[in-house]
Amino acid sequence: MKLLRSWLQDWIDLTDIDDTDLSTALESLGFEIEDYKLIKPDYKNIIVGKVVEIYPHPNADKVRVTKVDVGNKVYEIVCGAWNFEEGAIVPVALPNSYIKDSFKIDKRDIRGVESNGMICSASELNLWDEHDGILILDESFKIGSDLSKTYNSTDSYWEVGVTPNRGDCMSYLGIARELSTYLNKKLKKIEHPLNPKLKPVLKVNSGKSKLCSSYQSIEIENISIKDSSFLIKYRLSNIGVRIINNVVDYTNYVLHDIGQPLHAFDRDKLYGTISVRKAKEGEKLKTLDEQIRTLDNEDLIITDNNEPIALAGVMGGFDTEVTNATRNLLIESAYFDKVSIMKTSRKLNLISDASVRFERGIDRNIQAYGLKRFTNLYELDENIQYSEISDSSKQTESENFITFDTSLIESILGQVIDNKFITSTLKSLSIESEIKKDTIKFKQPSWRYDLERPIDLIEEIAKHYGFNNFKSTLPIGNNLNQVGNYWNVRKYFIDKLSLEKFNETQSLSFTQKEYNEFFDPDKEGVKVLNPIDQTQEYLRTNLYYSLIKTYKFNYEQNNFSGKYFEINNIYNNSTNKNYKKIPKQDYTLGFLVPDNNSKINPMQYIASFLRKILPGVSFEQLSKPGFHQNNSYVIMVDNKLVGHTGQLSYLLKEELDLSENLFLSQIYLEELNFEGLNTSNYKPLSHYPFIKFDLSFKVNRDLNANDLIQEVENLLQNNENSIKVFDDYAFEKTRNLGIRIVTRSYEKTYNEKENTEILNMIVDKLTSKFNITLNEKGE
Amino acid sequence: MPELNLDKILASLDLRISEVTIPDEYDQISKDYLGKDSLLAEERKKLPTLSNEDKKIYGKKLTELSKKIESKIASSKKQFILDTFQKKENDEFTDITIDWTRNEGSYKHILSSVMDEVVNIFSSIGYEVAYGPEAETSWHNFDALNTPDWHPARYESDTIYLNSDLETLLRTQTSTVQIRHMEQNDPPVYIVAPGRVFRSDQLDATHSPVFHQLEGLAIDKNLCFTDLKGTLEYFTKEFFGENIETKFIPHFFPFTEPSAEVLVKWNDGSWLEILGCGMVDPNVLENVGYSKEYKGFAWGVGIERLAMLRYKIDHIKNFYENDIRFLEQF
Repeated sequence: MKLLRSWLQDWIDLTDIDDTDLSTALESLGFEIEDYKLIKPDYKNIIVGKVVEIYPHPNADKVRVTKVDVGNKVYEIVCGAWNFEEGAIVPVALPNSYIKDSFKIDKRDIRGVESNGMICSASELNLWDEHDGILILDESFKIGSDLSKTYNSTDSYWEVGVTPNRGDCMSYLGIARELSTYLNKKLKKIEHPLNPKLKPVLKVNSGKSKLCSSYQSIEIENISIKDSSFLIKYRLSNIGVRIINNVVDYTNYVLHDIGQPLHAFDRDKLYGTISVRKAKEGEKLKTLDEQIRTLDNEDLIITDNNEPIALAGVMGGFDTEVTNATRNLLIESAYFDKVSIMKTSRKLNLISDASVRFERGIDRNIQAYGLKRFTNLYELDENIQYSEISDSSKQTESENFITFDTSLIESILGQVIDNKFITSTLKSLSIESEIKKDTIKFKQPSWRYDLERPIDLIEEIAKHYGFNNFKSTLPIGNNLNQVGNYWNVRKYFIDKLSLEKFNETQSLSFTQKEYNEFFDPDKEGVKVLNPIDQTQEYLRTNLYYSLIKTYKFNYEQNNFSGKYFEINNIYNNSTNKNYKKIPKQDYTLGFLVPDNNSKINPMQYIASFLRKILPGVSFEQLSKPGFHQNNSYVIMVDNKLVGHTGQLSYLLKEELDLSENLFLSQIYLEELNFEGLNTSNYKPLSHYPFIKFDLSFKVNRDLNANDLIQEVENLLQNNENSIKVFDDYAFEKTRNLGIRIVTRSYEKTYNEKENTEILNMIVDKLTSKFNITLNEKGE
Repeated sequence: MPELNLDKILASLDLRISEVTIPDEYDQISKDYLGKDSLLAEERKKLPTLSNEDKKIYGKKLTELSKKIESKIASSKKQFILDTFQKKENDEFTDITIDWTRNEGSYKHILSSVMDEVVNIFSSIGYEVAYGPEAETSWHNFDALNTPDWHPARYESDTIYLNSDLETLLRTQTSTVQIRHMEQNDPPVYIVAPGRVFRSDQLDATHSPVFHQLEGLAIDKNLCFTDLKGTLEYFTKEFFGENIETKFIPHFFPFTEPSAEVLVKWNDGSWLEILGCGMVDPNVLENVGYSKEYKGFAWGVGIERLAMLRYKIDHIKNFYENDIRFLEQF
């Protein structure tokens, strides 16, 4: 809602309220201030003048020479506009004046005639957009006066947000009503008694549908289509409404002023009874924008002799529209059902100032007032005559009182609010109410659809009391410093991976079908009904592609890249175990390790990293689409599948134009428990010296080194051990594996003999169990 | 009585000391001046031949000399070592203005860090973390939150839908977790729910189809509006600092009443809105079957907004591009 201080002044006296206070008031009432600015004339020294004489220019056809009376003197001015006659009152820029953009006007020779300045158009003075010649003022502008002093040329402008529950505040009247309560000022009453001279020609009927509870109209005769008054043009243009003519402008003016949308028909294009009904399926209507609309039985329409002439509350019909030839009007002022208007306007994507007001709910009792306001705008013109109002309103049940215990107010707000404050606030808001002993009752005003329940009234009281005037208390919940498993698991992995120098990333959840299918050709992706663009038609079924994209992006942008991880949901269309009706979504950790010419084989690096951070982890080789045939493993914890790791297939590496091998892993975090992750297995320290053996074995290519290590661990299970592979060398068909065993007893220092016994025991056991041979020294 | 020229001995000692080049030489000097072949030792050998009186006097003199030599050598050696190291240190200079390694940051995404910080603030006053699905039913995202079909608020945000009957969608707000949690848990409830939300916006400087919110919900027997105020003021002070000024202005959310927006006063004097909140609407509690004796409050805060404010980040796009130059700054 766009507000001008001068327009608000019509409804509430703001003379002693400055802009800062007004801003505070608006904000405190819940109108978010989206814009505020001062309006100042974009011109200087412009005088009101009267054209007293016009004659041809001796040397030019396209311009005329005028004599303009500016009160104390008459000047000769050359003018290129032709939209005025002798006697016209016009804004004049005499020498040493400024028009818009600080453009200075001086005497100027125009083809041999000296012009003493210029006669200005509205756009030259930056008043509004109007290029059809100069601005013609009416008789009320005094000749010789400074134009900037003839109207509110200095003004203040606010654009405020009105929340969807407050349709009643989408007008000056509505905003002023709220302000009057906040500022403790009286809301002015503006009355327009009608003095109709005509009988209406047409019958109107609000129809059988409940969707139109009130349909009222007035007929106005002998109008001529011309410019609106200066004031209307000034106000409308400053709140961003396009200036059209005195009919359209005046309906727009009433809409913004009091919130009642009006529609003007050319009465002479109407013939029968004007009525309201739902459209028939497939019925057609050519709307104002010259489009043929095909309607359905949800749309509410206005009919003439049962033929559609307008889309109720949304857009008028082309055949009955007001044109420059229009002389007689029928002005519609109606109340249409909120939801019905919303459905039609959303469906046809026709959202207008009128439809927005209808869908949020306009005042049920303001239709006649709207017609009076409109008619009043023609008041000055003696030729114009109007009818009485034709009223076809349905009887609606009046609102009942709602009663509740006053103790509810304190129980919800946490503070006692004085009854006097409540009474005066509600009175000022015109909310009928009564407080008796321990109860309060109230009635919803015809414009307040948001006041249906006790809680609605309590909010109203709290708002006007001022949220910032309430005390603050701090309740403590019952889960002190316990974030829970979900967050603990997440934090655990973020900590582990960041310490390992993986960069955490956040990428969008959307992708293309083909990227999902690189890795999950057998999973049905979740398709978006209204994707942002073609590259975002699906939700991702894995984090792999996002990670590769990040890797590649940085490689190309920054000439270096690194290790990345992301923790987010992945989706597919299979059944959701936990919830009905929605697709499966798994909270997943994904990470990427590039080859990076590292000395350690990345696959081994990942496996040992996972052994470090996932207690009880084991791996089983399993081929998977998109991955290297052998370097691809499922990750198990306690025999439960929790993820997958592997090397990107050479084919995808080539297709994606990657310069090095990438290793990708995914772990399904919902399968893991923080308790299980956060185990620390302390092993006591032995106080006795260590003995150490470096053993080198000839082994088969497919032997798992860890099996050997586990066997040694078993053999020495009563000791403190450190058993590590220190060498793994494969050449042609042979493979040598070096193991370093460091062991200490918890009970004694080993002597030479025991030392040898242990060594022999280990070698014997390993060679026999794994069918391997010990390399003698120097071999 | 033999007369040893003490001054001469001491002078020759000084000369020897002045010629020392490595600390080990002091051992040889000790040997030469105090050892068994030294002049001093020679003189000591003469003592038994002297009278008792002279023996006493000369013996004392020799002892004094020995002590003097000893201390001279010791202090000179100490000084020599000190001088050597001082000279060594004096010759060493490091230009610490050179960065040999890149500033790599914490390796955590700034959104994760901010989310964690906010979670910690609320966990310190008794809130547990809850979560719910991102692909949701319209019922959980709208209807259950008192936003029935054709409610104007339902059309304010550009929702991304997942099926043509509009029954499933990507949640537009983390408030869905309120419903999910209350469906599965009895009151009292004290939870926060950080997570992703979605809108149909192209990624650019000020919009993103994906962003993060943190939802909070407290439901108990005696919670009221002043509790809501106190809780969120506690949060703004913990997050922005003890001196931050906070104000509450009325707003509208379908699922809370009264509803408010919380603004904080920024360094430049402007008020910036940082979160929306309100008392949970009775309809919401009814939708999840909570008994009437329970009520409470809820709030939602934008994580990107907090991060952008605190770190003066100007483009929301930064959060989702994963440019390593951005990631490493945090």
